[in-house]
Parts: sequence; C-alpha cells; structure tokens
Amino acid sequence: METSPENEIQTAKPPIERLAYPVQEAADMLGVHYFSIYRQIQRGKLKTCRALRGKLLVPRTELIKLLQTDLS
Amino acid sequence: MNYYERPTPLQEQAYTEARQQFAEHLNQFKANCDAIRHIESNLPVTTNDVSRAALQSSGRIIQTDDGAQWQHAVDLTKITSVCHRRTAAGLEFAVVECLPLKSGDMKEVLNRGQDAGEVLQTFARDQRQVLNFWKNDVTAQIREYLEEKHPHQNMDIVVESFDIKLARDLSCREKLAQNHIHGVRI
Repeated sequence: METSPENEIQTAKPPIERLAYPVQEAADMLGVHYFSIYRQIQRGKLKTCRALRGKLLVPRTELIKLLQTDLS
Repeated sequence: MNYYERPTPLQEQAYTEARQQFAEHLNQFKANCDAIRHIESNLPVTTNDVSRAALQSSGRIIQTDDGAQWQHAVDLTKITSVCHRRTAAGLEFAVVECLPLKSGDMKEVLNRGQDAGEVLQTFARDQRQVLNFWKNDVTAQIREYLEEKHPHQNMDIVVESFDIKLARDLSCREKLAQNHIHGVRI
C-alpha cells in the first residue's frame, strides 16, 4: 500500500532538539561574533563541554541562561 | 609517528584543503595575535596616553550597558578602547568592548581598576587566554574536518602543523626567535 504525502507528514518525526552547539553556531544563534563566545567562555559566563576530539560545545541551556542574564 | 618525516602527497593535499576551509579563522587568529602583541609592546606608552587623557578629562562620552558613563581615552583594537571616569574613590579606568549588533551596539566593560597600567595588563592577559581557547578549538575543528574528509587516514602530522602554526602566532618568544633567525633587527 502506498503512503500518501499527508500520511508522510503525519508520521514524520519531530526534529531532534540539539543539546549543544559548536562555537560558530552558538555565535550565529546569539547574533554575535565567535570571538565574543570565546571571551564569554574565558570569563566563565558560558560553560562548555568538549566533544571527543576536543572541540568546544556550548550547551543549549547555557545559551538560554546567558540570554536571560547578560544579553537581555 | 615521526613528525620529521616528509608528509605524504595525501597529507599535503589535506593540509591545503584545511587551510582553505579554515582560512578565515587562521587569518583572524593571526590578526588578533598581532594586535595583542602590539598592545603588550606599547603598554607603557598607552598607559601614559590614558593617564594624560584622564587628567585632561577629555574624550567622548560612552555609556556602557550597565548604565555607567565613561570618557573615551585610547583605542586598543577596532572594538575595544580604554576609558576613564571620575568616581568618589578617584579615577577609574576600564577596557570597554563595543560590539556592533543588528539590535544595536553592545558596550561591555571587560575589566576595570584604578591603575591604568594594571587594567591594560589584565586585558592583555585575558585576551591571551581567549586566544588560547580559540587556538585549541580551531585545532580540534581541523582534526574533526580532516577525519571526516579523509577517514581511516593518519592526519596527525597535518593537525600538528596547524597546532604549531597557531602556537607560534600566539607566542611572543617564538616570534622574537623567528625574527632573530631571519636577521630582523628587533
């Protein structure tokens, strides 16, 4: 039985909400230059975690926290 | 792996690819390192200029996001400047960053204090730490990029060469040593 486009839409999975973002993406989301993100990390205002190869990842929760404090 | 070995043609190709891919980061990083080195080498002169501006109480007014008003003294980089203001406790100095955003300029005090020289030194030290975060992150991004682009190939020598390049950009001593090697009078 063929699936109609309507059914495909209904059964499509919701997009997965990412838990963390690389520095460039975090900067894009906040509308700032990536250097500012590194500065916030250095100042302890953004906590980060590291991916397997050491790449910095900014948790989504940290971005929200920053928006609610400094950037609001 | 012996890093004194010559890179293979594939590693040389990977180096070129990564250099192109991360050109913006590599260029910006070097420019920022040069800027901080310039600030460090001109610290006494800048401190004098700032102190003179503070005594004359000259400079345009800058209002930072915390509501405080400062007077501009000296530009450090395109987006940072040293400012001063009079308080009940005496003169106060600050490094202020002005970020042009779509929603309007963001003006933030990066560090402040009553000694202009100390304020500048703290700024330079913090800036180096920021650059160090940047350096390690870019190196990790290059490693990730190369692993995705050339899976199952050993690209350690390529990553290492970028790491050395960035460390050299950041280091004052390396720069001085390099200048000596090339016979540059410093």
